[in-house]
Amino acid sequence: MQTALDLALGGISLGGIYALTAFALSMALATTHVLNVAHGNFIVFGAALATFLLNVLKLGGTATAAAVVVCFAAAGLLFERAFVRPLLGKTPGQILIGSILITFGFAVASEALLGYTWARRVDPQPSFSLTFPLARLTVGGAVLSGTRLFVLLATTALIAALHLFLTRTALGKAIRAMAQNYEAAVILGMNPRRISATVYLIGITATAAAGVLLALASPLDPYEGTRLTLVALTVIIIGGVGSLPGALIGGAVLGVAEVLTSFYAGGVWGPVVYLVVFFAVLLVRPQGLMGGRAG
Amino acid sequence: MSDDGRPRTGDRRQGGWTGLGVAGGLALACALLPLAGTRDLITAVFFTFLFLVLALNFDILGGFMGYMNLGQGAYFGLAAYLAALLLNSGRLNRLGAADRPAAVAVAVAITTAVAFGFAYPLFRLSGAYFAMATFGVVLLIRHLILNFPDVTGGSYGVYVNPRHYLGLYPAYYLGLGLLCASAALTLAIARSKIGLAFNAVRESEPTAAAIGIDLFRAKRLALVLGAAPSALAGAIFALQAGYIDVDAALGVDKTLLPVIMALLGGSGLVAGPLLGGAIMRAIDILLKNYLRLAFPALVIYGAILMGIGLLMPQGILNFFGDRRRT
Repeated sequence: MQTALDLALGGISLGGIYALTAFALSMALATTHVLNVAHGNFIVFGAALATFLLNVLKLGGTATAAAVVVCFAAAGLLFERAFVRPLLGKTPGQILIGSILITFGFAVASEALLGYTWARRVDPQPSFSLTFPLARLTVGGAVLSGTRLFVLLATTALIAALHLFLTRTALGKAIRAMAQNYEAAVILGMNPRRISATVYLIGITATAAAGVLLALASPLDPYEGTRLTLVALTVIIIGGVGSLPGALIGGAVLGVAEVLTSFYAGGVWGPVVYLVVFFAVLLVRPQGLMGGRAG
Repeated sequence: MSDDGRPRTGDRRQGGWTGLGVAGGLALACALLPLAGTRDLITAVFFTFLFLVLALNFDILGGFMGYMNLGQGAYFGLAAYLAALLLNSGRLNRLGAADRPAAVAVAVAITTAVAFGFAYPLFRLSGAYFAMATFGVVLLIRHLILNFPDVTGGSYGVYVNPRHYLGLYPAYYLGLGLLCASAALTLAIARSKIGLAFNAVRESEPTAAAIGIDLFRAKRLALVLGAAPSALAGAIFALQAGYIDVDAALGVDKTLLPVIMALLGGSGLVAGPLLGGAIMRAIDILLKNYLRLAFPALVIYGAILMGIGLLMPQGILNFFGDRRRT
């Protein structure tokens, strides 16, 4: 009973993190049509910055959280300006080649730089993990990990905030309009550059926050970025582009599958599960979920 | 020209007499190199052959068809492991002297079959999703190798039994032969109806389907044609190196460099991957042997990839080709 509860809580909180990053990726994908291969790297960077501030510089929890938000909001704006904006409005073929070259190049270069610098300056065996002493909760004889509950609550709050922003504010509605029909949104007077900048600012900040939460749940290493991008893509393929309920379902499926596999088959199999799910879904759903050109 | 600046269809321009003459001269120079070169140089050129094979193979799907395969290294690494493990298992011992070619043949056959199988899930996708999924193939094979240490040696890698080593000179000429064969294969595709069909798929899948091209079969063919020579390159690599691990056989560079080479030189042209490959290998040899870098080489590869994407997404040959024509 206790084990089942732990597994369920672990799986669902992991699923929430996956859903959050996947939704951030699909929001950017649907509005700008640029696939950011380096998306998962921002999960790792978020975890790395938080680890550095909290464990190395010994800042407090609130200061760390504030610093992560400010840094990654700026990073999101810069990333959009430098790498996404040059591609906006080009033909699908140009966007495809450009986005893969630029963001894949960025992913490889930045993770190599991070891993190398961390190994030389901080810790020869780079690993980003956070511990946050939180009391255990006892509910009717069952013990719940405080950290896991915190992760679950924080993820839920972030997803809810994202949902409210997209459905209740004018800017959020403009983002959804542009995701549905780029040309029509531009004709109606929406500014694609402003929307693309907003999407990356929010998306990358949310992804870095997801990285901090992930580091609370399990340690990350510097070279997991591409794997995490693929996890987010798997969630999108299960749940559909730009769909929040789809992302939640896809995230929960993957999170629970990963936790169960790690528990029953051993930790080394946990990170493989999403790949099996990914290829299996592609085989079983005959239409593929998104056959369109360049997303 | 197509909308993204790559050459359009039926490139009869490719493989003109000048081009063939230059290629023949280069091949002859490479064939004579072992008479004069040092062992280090010959090894470096041998690796260059293998990378050029990967780059040419990448471009069958990437250049002719517009499907970016970030998993070209998967076939190289899988075949390298299969050849090494088959020979070490001793199951081929009763074949006597034929055990080495037999192991290589079996490794290439299995790898090609795996590529054939992966065509089914992969081609449900297109565009950037396809590219990411192909990287998933590399990760999957890598995880499987690491997670079955009893069979594959896990993170310790595999030592090939010294009886089966391939000497540097035979390996060098095998690599050169394989490179010439791969270039000939790409040229044959460029000048054939199959190449026209691939180009048609790249330009517009609905149109290609409407004129009677079976889209899935064309894509699967392109994937398999690009997988077999890469697999052979991997098997030769394993037997020459004598030791492989997941980083040597399936490292990020095996996936990254072919893409950089093809796109830097000019995708969709036979000479493009060769030119880009020569440039990248020169940079690589310079970085590893002469410059003492204060940071990993992958940082530079990543930066080159970004630079191509931002400044010259059509590659060198297409870039200058466009300027000459306009």
